[in-house]
Amino acid sequence: MVPLFGLIIALYAWPVINILWLGVSDPELGIQNYKLLFTKSSLVKILWTTIRVCLITTLCSVVIGYLIAYTMVHLVGRERNWMLTLVLISFWVSVLVRAFSWLTLLGRNGLVNAALVGSGLAEEPISMIRNEFGVLIGMVHYMVPYAVLPLLANMQGIDHRVMDASRSLGAGPLLTFVRIYLPLTKPGVIAASLLVFIISLGFYVTPALLGGGRVLMVAEYVSVQILITVQWGVAAMLATLLLSGVLALLYIMSRFMNIGEVFGARA
Amino acid sequence: MQDKMFYKDLAFTGAKDFKSGKLGRREFLYLCALAGVASSSVIAGDAEAAANEIVLWNWGGDAVKCHTSAFGAAFTKESGLPVKYDTSGPLQGKIKEMVNSGNVTADVADADAFDAISLGKSGHLEKIDYSVVDKKKVLEGFAWDYGVSIIFYGYAFMYDTKKFKGNPPSTWADFFNTKKYSGKRSLYKWANGSLEGALMADGVSKDKVYPMDLDRAINKIKSIKSDTIFWGSGSEAQQMIVNGEVSMGMVWLNRAKAVEADTNGRYRLNMNEAIAMPGAYLVPKGNPAGRANVMKFIASCQVAERQIEILRCHGMTPSNPEAFGMIPDDLKRFAVTSKENLSRVLLNDPIWWAENGGNAVNSFLEAIG
Repeated sequence: MVPLFGLIIALYAWPVINILWLGVSDPELGIQNYKLLFTKSSLVKILWTTIRVCLITTLCSVVIGYLIAYTMVHLVGRERNWMLTLVLISFWVSVLVRAFSWLTLLGRNGLVNAALVGSGLAEEPISMIRNEFGVLIGMVHYMVPYAVLPLLANMQGIDHRVMDASRSLGAGPLLTFVRIYLPLTKPGVIAASLLVFIISLGFYVTPALLGGGRVLMVAEYVSVQILITVQWGVAAMLATLLLSGVLALLYIMSRFMNIGEVFGARA
Repeated sequence: MQDKMFYKDLAFTGAKDFKSGKLGRREFLYLCALAGVASSSVIAGDAEAAANEIVLWNWGGDAVKCHTSAFGAAFTKESGLPVKYDTSGPLQGKIKEMVNSGNVTADVADADAFDAISLGKSGHLEKIDYSVVDKKKVLEGFAWDYGVSIIFYGYAFMYDTKKFKGNPPSTWADFFNTKKYSGKRSLYKWANGSLEGALMADGVSKDKVYPMDLDRAINKIKSIKSDTIFWGSGSEAQQMIVNGEVSMGMVWLNRAKAVEADTNGRYRLNMNEAIAMPGAYLVPKGNPAGRANVMKFIASCQVAERQIEILRCHGMTPSNPEAFGMIPDDLKRFAVTSKENLSRVLLNDPIWWAENGGNAVNSFLEAIG
């Protein structure tokens, strides 16, 4: 156990500490990189874009994921397996392949625009990619399975007799859903939201390809600072910020549920 | 596994010392023996090979095929040293990281001239030995202390000949004039070339572009921002045009021929006011093959015929003036240093970029984001 712990420290914690250190030591010792957050409005803009895109992605993914999970719980046997298979297939398809598929589908001369213009529904092609909308499509599509799985686990654990009891006491279907079912699925919704939000924060490929260069998120900015402009201190500062944000969210999450279970570990 | 890696590393370092005379043969072989019982011979072979081969760090894709046919094969024939490739792309941050880590695995990088200048200044590169490498075989002004231009690449725009049949655009001012020439535009995301184009469009004459007025350039970019999409890789730039997403699009010059072919000539390259970028061959400090070997390799890449081959195979333009007159007729239009183009392209100033590049890239990203 002890050597294993040492290995984790050496291979994981040490590099992370190095990053933290770089943020206050490059190009010189001090907090100048952190000061940039207050003096450079563009950095705040990039962070805000990242948070906005991630929040919208989270909202859409969880709503869609909720509908899918809800349908799956109420199906039986083969149909449910089919749905699960479809969710898992999209879960496993590479992020790059998906981005390129969207480019082909939604491009100016892509299938969707060709159909819209051809059928007369649109006069000229609609810009659906190479902008923030395109990034959102790509990200929501990627994140839906991540929302479905924790929600499904949560919904499967709900005792359906409770809903029957509600109905027998005179509540209609809508009231039963709002007053009984929704509160029971709250842990699932919170888990799914945090999971989707945290993973979205690190998105790089999808915004880079579908955003047409105009949707700059933190991950891509960090990579540019490391590889091209070689301002490692700024990159480390942003990485640290991202890391502490994620840790804070995980801490909040741990107050609501067993984190290990959400991420697939069994106690 | 960890141990094996460690000993392999030890043998590898030993091979370098052995090569430079700091380590005797017996000690070297002892080190190799340490490296493993069953696989010692294999690892010893590996480590010795590291000191007896040239690793060229390039950008992958066709580069491996073309660097072999133009440079690698001929050099191996002359020197007996094989040429191998690291295709991960020598971005400035990666070169710096490699040298800082002390585990230098590449001998020469096919990088940018501004990398050679800024990494040379920060002490990450070996000096070019101009008693071996020939300064006369480089366009004047493109041989620096820590890097030498072997090829030029560049940025130019292509336009839709069908859409602009009667009045084809020919300047950056046309490119930025979205009223007269309708449709979307595409530009390079990391500022290079895009800023120069913006300044020329704004009326700055070619010889006054450097030192660049960054604010002026950024403002010009902002004026067409809503009609412009930005690419980060050559294939993306090519796609944007081939898929008809733009009516005028910036490309890397070496892609232009392929785009014209892919669109059956519908999109055509405009070479007027193209921005010629000097590539630089540079040597990371402490390269495994040693300085003498790698200088011989760089010198061998200066041979005019070989540079013509890299143009034919990879679309990169020769930097050796001897080769300018040898450019085949069908490639003259795409080459920045051909007689018809040399006077109408803008030659990039790597010294400006070395000093201001980081700031320029960030300002650009912030403006388009």
